[in-house]
Amino acid sequence: MIPVLRLAAKRIGTSLLVLFGVSVLIFCIARVIPGDPARVALGPNATAEQVANLRAQLRLDEPLVAQYGHFLADLARGDLGRSLYTNRPVTTDIAEFLPATLELILVAGIMMIAFGLPLGILAARFRGRWPDHLIRVLSLLGVSAPSFVWAVGLMLVFSYYLGWFPIAGRIASQFEIGRVTGFLLIDTLLAGNGAAFRSAAAHLVLPAFALALSGIGQAARLTRANMIETYETPYIEMARAYGFPERRVANRYAFRPSLIPSLTIIGLDLAALLGNAFLVEAVFGWPGLSRYGVQVILRKDLNAIVGTVLIISAMFILVNIIVDVLTVLLNPRIRHAQRGATP
Amino acid sequence: MNTLEIRDLRLSFRLPVGTVEVLHGISLRIARGERVALVGESGSGKSVTARIILGLLQEQRGVRLAGDIVFQGRNLLRLPPRERRAVRGTRISMIFQDPTSSLNPVFRIAPQFREVLARATPDLSEKAARARAAELLDEVAIPDAARVLDSYPFQLSGGMNQRIMIAMALANRPALLLADEPGTALDVTIQAQTLDLMRKLVVDHGTSVLFISHNLGVVREFADRTYVIYRGRIVEAGPTEAIFHDPRHAYTRALMAAQPRITGGGLPDIPERSDDFLAPLIEHEAAP
Repeated sequence: MIPVLRLAAKRIGTSLLVLFGVSVLIFCIARVIPGDPARVALGPNATAEQVANLRAQLRLDEPLVAQYGHFLADLARGDLGRSLYTNRPVTTDIAEFLPATLELILVAGIMMIAFGLPLGILAARFRGRWPDHLIRVLSLLGVSAPSFVWAVGLMLVFSYYLGWFPIAGRIASQFEIGRVTGFLLIDTLLAGNGAAFRSAAAHLVLPAFALALSGIGQAARLTRANMIETYETPYIEMARAYGFPERRVANRYAFRPSLIPSLTIIGLDLAALLGNAFLVEAVFGWPGLSRYGVQVILRKDLNAIVGTVLIISAMFILVNIIVDVLTVLLNPRIRHAQRGATP
Repeated sequence: MNTLEIRDLRLSFRLPVGTVEVLHGISLRIARGERVALVGESGSGKSVTARIILGLLQEQRGVRLAGDIVFQGRNLLRLPPRERRAVRGTRISMIFQDPTSSLNPVFRIAPQFREVLARATPDLSEKAARARAAELLDEVAIPDAARVLDSYPFQLSGGMNQRIMIAMALANRPALLLADEPGTALDVTIQAQTLDLMRKLVVDHGTSVLFISHNLGVVREFADRTYVIYRGRIVEAGPTEAIFHDPRHAYTRALMAAQPRITGGGLPDIPERSDDFLAPLIEHEAAP
């Protein structure tokens, strides 16, 4: 276990460097896109003097390097500056909007793994027969359309025509739920309000599924391909020769070795959910960080843009670290190489 | 009574272009406790025969079989799939060419061993399985069973894995052991040691063995009787010593000539095909 911790620590160290690079990059990019943030914030009727005052207040009149220095000094104190759009500290905004996005992404990620992997196993086990054909067609469909197309399609069919799910938002408006964690599924349970929980869950199904669909397809295709390769190995032939039930051969002996090469890609897909969430949140009116991000970019709200991008990068890196650690845990060969054992 | 009797076994594959016959009527028998070799070049149909006996090939599509495979009085080709599977790993088991790649790389030896034992004794506890596995590893001269059971296959040597394979194959005391080129992937000294060990164990337990090989030197040491197979037909059969002293079929003679001598003399010159190789079966009379 200790070598795994050491690996995690090493990866966290290098990811701080990555985050530093990201901050420099986004800091510069945010400042070179055309438009004057002070002018946008104050509106068309503001005088040149007012704009100049705000620019000075935001330190936009200083050189870029000095601006970045101030930014780093503030960041060290956990301060990301104020948002011109909401007129609140960016950290407050992020704390408000991040849980909604995390909830959406976590549920989508669970769907991706809970549907994608078993579908891949089934397709490989019944290779060339109808379950395989069906799963291949469905996963190809899932992969080939972007998630916002699915979002619109699912919303149209299941909310508008069939009326099975609510059209938009996180929860029906009649519920007043005290904010504890910001995760509505948890907060409604903490409040002991079953009806509110069901409402929150129903609101979550379509956006999460739309977000997860391409990942489900990708995970199923990848699992299938790797399992088919594993099926050709002598150890699977041996498992069959010893009469292990076909189901167990698939779920245990072929799946476990196949998961290792799939894991890296699945991890990338999980991280990609963060980016795809931008458009899905927009379609479903989901009050999350991604929707906030789109709004602040349109208003050239510098502090908010930098803050949002940094948080999303940090989560991206975190997912990758988790996947790396899992890969090591699942693959005894790497695990033992880390320990320095020689075969 | 024979443990295994194969009568006129024919195998063909249905392909888009038509049907291709691969085995053209193979007959062989193995008495109780007898060690029988099936010798031939690659592609001759020897490995496929072992997989038909185990019932593995039947589960693929486009496979057509005719003939009889009678194992302990029951015709395996006529058994329903469920009963055919019940025989696998319990009364018939198999050893493969490359021990290290035949063990699953992501599981330790102990759970893999337990799964094999569970084929015959499904309600075996983890502790009991471990104890039994340690006993069986002791039989194949592995002294530190505890360390081996907690290792992954890639942490052990090829010879060690081969011993584990032998222990697993004999764990449920099968009536028939199919050994498909056992240890061909190992170097010759380790191969000799493990074959010696395997022979000792099958003699002790009275296990019948179908030994599949292209290595005549090994066959001569191991088998009581030998069948020579060429392109899906048995061309010569009889007691191993009789065949080695007096090879009568053109293909058998070519096979023997093909063994490079340790004393030198260059690689022998063998024709790729010859009409003589397709000559009918020659059967040697019972052993002297």
